Amino acid sequence: MSLTDLMSMAKPNLESREKILAKLTSKGLVNCFQCIKCTSGCTALKLLELKPHEIVKLVNLGFIDELASSDIIWTCVTCLKCFQRCPQKASPYHVIMALRNLAVEREAKVPEGYLKAVSRILEVGLAEPPAEVVTRKMEIFNRESLKLPNIASPKESFQTAFMKILEEH
Amino acid sequence: MPKIGVYVCHCGLNIAGVVEIDKVVKYAKSLPDVALVRDYTYMCSAPGQRMIQEDIKTHNLDRIVIATCSPRMHEETFRKAVAEAGLNPYLLEIVNLREQVSWAHTDEPGKATEKAKDLVKMGVARAKLLEPLERSRVQVEKSVLVVGGGIAGIQASLDLADAGFPVYLVEKAPSIGGRMAQLDKTFPTLDCSACILTPKMVDVAKNSNIRLLANSEVKCVKGFVGNYEVTIVKMPRYVDEEKCVGCELCTKVCPVKVPDKFNEGLSQTRAIAIYSPYAVPKVATINPKYCLRLKYDKDVCGKCLEACEAKAINFQQQPDTVQLKVGGIILAIGSGIFDASKIGELGYRRHKDVISNIEFERIVNASGPTGGKILCPSNGESPKTIVFVQCVGSRDKRFHEYCCRVGCMATLKQAVLAREHLGKDVNIYICFNDMRAFGKGYDEFYRRARDLDINFVAGLPSDIREDASGSIHFDVYDKGTNKLLELRPDLVVLANGLIPNDDLGKIGELFHVSRSADGFLLEAHPKLRPLESAVAGIFLAGTCQGPKDIPDTVAQASGAAAKVIDLLSHGEIELEPLKAIVDEDLCSGCRICESICPFLAVEMKTKNVNGKEKFRAEVIEAMCQGCGLCASACPTNAIKMKHYTDEQVLAQVQAACVEKTTKKGGS
Repeated sequence: MSLTDLMSMAKPNLESREKILAKLTSKGLVNCFQCIKCTSGCTALKLLELKPHEIVKLVNLGFIDELASSDIIWTCVTCLKCFQRCPQKASPYHVIMALRNLAVEREAKVPEGYLKAVSRILEVGLAEPPAEVVTRKMEIFNRESLKLPNIASPKESFQTAFMKILEEH
Repeated sequence: MPKIGVYVCHCGLNIAGVVEIDKVVKYAKSLPDVALVRDYTYMCSAPGQRMIQEDIKTHNLDRIVIATCSPRMHEETFRKAVAEAGLNPYLLEIVNLREQVSWAHTDEPGKATEKAKDLVKMGVARAKLLEPLERSRVQVEKSVLVVGGGIAGIQASLDLADAGFPVYLVEKAPSIGGRMAQLDKTFPTLDCSACILTPKMVDVAKNSNIRLLANSEVKCVKGFVGNYEVTIVKMPRYVDEEKCVGCELCTKVCPVKVPDKFNEGLSQTRAIAIYSPYAVPKVATINPKYCLRLKYDKDVCGKCLEACEAKAINFQQQPDTVQLKVGGIILAIGSGIFDASKIGELGYRRHKDVISNIEFERIVNASGPTGGKILCPSNGESPKTIVFVQCVGSRDKRFHEYCCRVGCMATLKQAVLAREHLGKDVNIYICFNDMRAFGKGYDEFYRRARDLDINFVAGLPSDIREDASGSIHFDVYDKGTNKLLELRPDLVVLANGLIPNDDLGKIGELFHVSRSADGFLLEAHPKLRPLESAVAGIFLAGTCQGPKDIPDTVAQASGAAAKVIDLLSHGEIELEPLKAIVDEDLCSGCRICESICPFLAVEMKTKNVNGKEKFRAEVIEAMCQGCGLCASACPTNAIKMKHYTDEQVLAQVQAACVEKTTKKGGS
């Protein structure tokens, strides 16, 4: 391989690059011309230093191994702004999702919140269970006080289908 | 029996690098009726052509097959060479071994050679059935129609008129001048746009060879190269062009306020007004959508009628139809400008201080809505910070994929103008993606902008927002510093790109000129015939063919004018003999051909058949472009395409199929 990242002495991993490209329905990733619109508007940039344009460029060059094991790919809040506004339809969001799937496949460290969300979906069918809301007047609202029906626990068929989706990706 | 000569061209290594020439030559020799096979490095070179000519003479060849590049490239070259040797030029068949074989199948040389053999075999099969054809000559009308009175139309008209050709210049707007008249300065020299354009506009009005038809539209085009019949409708101005002296007394008394189109709606004019300060013809026009008397069709208002000393106002004016006969046509109808409100996140039309580049041109211009002072539209104050945002609607797969070619330079010019107008205390930023300064003197101009302390941010904003106090702000990540920057400008100027004119679809249909994938009018060849459309006698100039700056537009306009002069100067032209002909005995008069002919070349005639009056189709040879639609649609096979007869095409098909069956069945 003729390309080397002199900061980390990393070499491109073209096999993983192919894998990620195969996961993406749109191949716009290779069209990215670094206009930086995605990063300028990224919701996760200010707090979490996610730079979608860098991720797209790194994947395009094949520097994937470090990315797949980093925490940064888990900071995307999936607001889909980059997907909607990208002038080259490169969709950094989908690239990040493909990286996350690759990370799970490699059994890299997955942030606890995500694992919790998965178990909650399996148990109650929701990523975030219903919580109480307190207004400015200190009134407390919950499903019961609003006379909303209780949420039924998911059926077994849902759980098996959900597990199947997880395994497939 | 025909004696066929087959010539295989190497095209350097273009063909020979993939196709095994020896095998093709050997195979061609085995084909029936082939008297001679030769190969050569460059068939199109002088020695290559001479080789064919000598063989025709010494070996009495009567059909020639040349396996070489696309016929679009060199068919004409070889036809001339064959004709010089005394053979009818239509007894030549070109087999395309470059675009269709070697360039298309670089990875599979073995299969490419097989395909080359098949194509040569098909070519030989067709060549046997070729018939000699003669070109006819027709007289041409020595006058020209120029559609569109922008700088392209003006330049082409002046060139043609100076060369002695009568020109009809048709402009849809009440005045010529087009987009260039709206611009303040031009890059990279900062020439005043009006100062270099208006003398040309006046020249058009003064030139006795030019008949200017402003406020007019082309309604119908018939005929063929050299003999076009054009119908033009002159829309009513409700003002007599001959009588109006351009004093504007009418505008002063008119009570109806109308958004000023010339100023991009940033100021108001009246329902009766002169189009722009430099209008040619300098004649007032009434806008019938706003004028009280025309709108309500009642005897109301009439203030202009009283004020006009020249008695030029005429509310009874009707559309006027003008019939013209012209030999050539130049289309110069210009382009539109992208509407940035389609990109919601940029806030155009939502915030008053987010404006387009063409609006900025009007604001900075002395004859514009603010008298040349750069002021924020929201509060009328002078901006302290201006940000220009590049590539709006261009290089964007969601809207237009192409580069608008003028955005970067127009923005640099506007930034320099802003610096000149507002002085050194104002902050000017340009948010860009790539800075494309490609023309003569353009990169020097880019440096000049940097000298003037204009800041460049390498990154485009994602969205432009407004906070509670109403001030605009946005984030932009800068590639240069690797920092997320926040900008709080008073004025944002969007570099909207050039887009296909709204009228292009209509114009394309009217003139049978096709459009390329980007929506602009399609030239006959992107490199070798950039000034012509695919329709003979119709030429293209300016931004209707693709986005262009002023120097390129003027160059193309002068080029198109020269092409028309070349076409019409001999007084007559040769017509290709590739036409459809109707067999009257087979024609059933069903009129399908008449209904599908895109060139209106089929006419139905009543003919006496066995004592009965019957409808029969007839092809007007001069109008037929040889597209073959009628021949394939005819249910009774009554229409034959010369040079592409059913027999010739079927012979090719048979040649292609036979070998395949013998290969399978023979083993």
